[in-house]
Amino acid sequence: MTLAIALSSALSTLVLVLALVLPSIASPAVPFGVRVPARYEGDPVVTRQTRLYRWRVLVGGIAAAGLVVVLYAVTGVTLLLPLSVLLLVGVWYGCFFLANHEIRAAKAAGGWFEGVRPGIAVDTGLRTDPPRFPWLWLAPALIITLATVVIGVLLYPSMPDILVVHRGIPDRTAVKSVATAFSLVFVQLGVTALLTGIAAAIVFGSRPDIDPAHPATSARWHRRYLTLGVTVLLGLLALIDLGMLGSSLLMWTGTVTSWAPLVVVVPILVGVVIAVVVLARNNREPDEGEPDTGLTHREDDKYWRGGMFYVNRDDHALFVARRFGVGWTLNFGNPRVLMLLAGLVALLALVITLRFGG
Amino acid sequence: MIINVDLGSEVPIYQQLRDRIVEAIAGGVLSEGSSLPSTRVLAADFGINFHTVNKAYDLLRREGLLQLNRKAGAVVTVTPGDPAFRADWTARARTLLAEAVARGVPAGEVLTTCRSVLESFATTQPQDTP
Repeated sequence: MTLAIALSSALSTLVLVLALVLPSIASPAVPFGVRVPARYEGDPVVTRQTRLYRWRVLVGGIAAAGLVVVLYAVTGVTLLLPLSVLLLVGVWYGCFFLANHEIRAAKAAGGWFEGVRPGIAVDTGLRTDPPRFPWLWLAPALIITLATVVIGVLLYPSMPDILVVHRGIPDRTAVKSVATAFSLVFVQLGVTALLTGIAAAIVFGSRPDIDPAHPATSARWHRRYLTLGVTVLLGLLALIDLGMLGSSLLMWTGTVTSWAPLVVVVPILVGVVIAVVVLARNNREPDEGEPDTGLTHREDDKYWRGGMFYVNRDDHALFVARRFGVGWTLNFGNPRVLMLLAGLVALLALVITLRFGG
Repeated sequence: MIINVDLGSEVPIYQQLRDRIVEAIAGGVLSEGSSLPSTRVLAADFGINFHTVNKAYDLLRREGLLQLNRKAGAVVTVTPGDPAFRADWTARARTLLAEAVARGVPAGEVLTTCRSVLESFATTQPQDTP
């Protein structure tokens, strides 16, 4: 139980810190996901909403945590702890949406986009000479998965006949078979394939959002951010696979301890924190003193539903950079993305049915 | 190569695309054999109609600056201007210079501007042939 409390607190703290830091690391051209021309980036409305947002997140976050603590003390239901993280994310989105709404209203009322010269910038080099996929960073994940298979095959004869199956927590026993002994290896393979696919889609199927006011700086930053993002994603993948290796070792050696979940959770948590910190530190385009071209990004708020979800049927990109957050988000208007998501959900449903059926 | 398109300009987008590519060739950003994205990819990156990019590429192809084929996509070629091109270009330069004179830009400034623009292209400019 203490473990669940510690983990939920760690995750909640991560969400809260990220929520408080985001206004400072998100692009000033899209404060709270609203596209504004450069001369309105420091507008009093934006400054005021940033302050209000931070207060709301802080107060709402503390209230949500307090509520969960009280409910947990009364009922003692462990499920409440992971739910508290979801509740915090909900509070965060609410605070974001309020600020988004206010800034959008001020923009419309003040006619912020009147008289600006809208432009679009494209870096053809990203297509004719695309960034290289960091294949070397995929090696740790592949080596760890392969090592798990080899160790599993070697240990198989000496494994106990009844295995304690870990699903995060050691929760049931099963008769030794290839399917039970290697269950986490299948998870490793699935996660490796999925995250490598996402990484490849980000490198080859994302559309950069280049600032027409400083296109050269923006294009350079995009290239760097892309490589960095994919690298940390593959690093996270290696740590997930490492967690599965650790958990498999516990199962194969018949070790039952109270810290078993840590073996899975700690590497994943470390990977997530590293990924978020690295992306957050590089989230903003630097100012390299490039002369302003006088052009402004076109107003594209209509493609961002609720300020957060990108839905654009006419955009071929699978991924675009997040406006308020770190990393990328899916283009939910792209039929290919919808098909891939449906396929993924179907696959997950099949796996779950098979496991419970078995 | 970075292409910046001004959506508020009176110059049509296909013309802007064509102009930026010609300038990139003159400035040495693109050279003979450099490739450009296919029409579909470039149109998708701009979020504009595919026919607009097609029109720009077709213009460049007819001018002998771009080769379009199914496999390699769009590749920059350099065809030296023939006498007909030179006559046409002189006529257009005449109009452009006339605009400056008509609006009272001093001749010295016009010449300085012309020289500095030419110098910015100096890396690819062919040496004067006797």
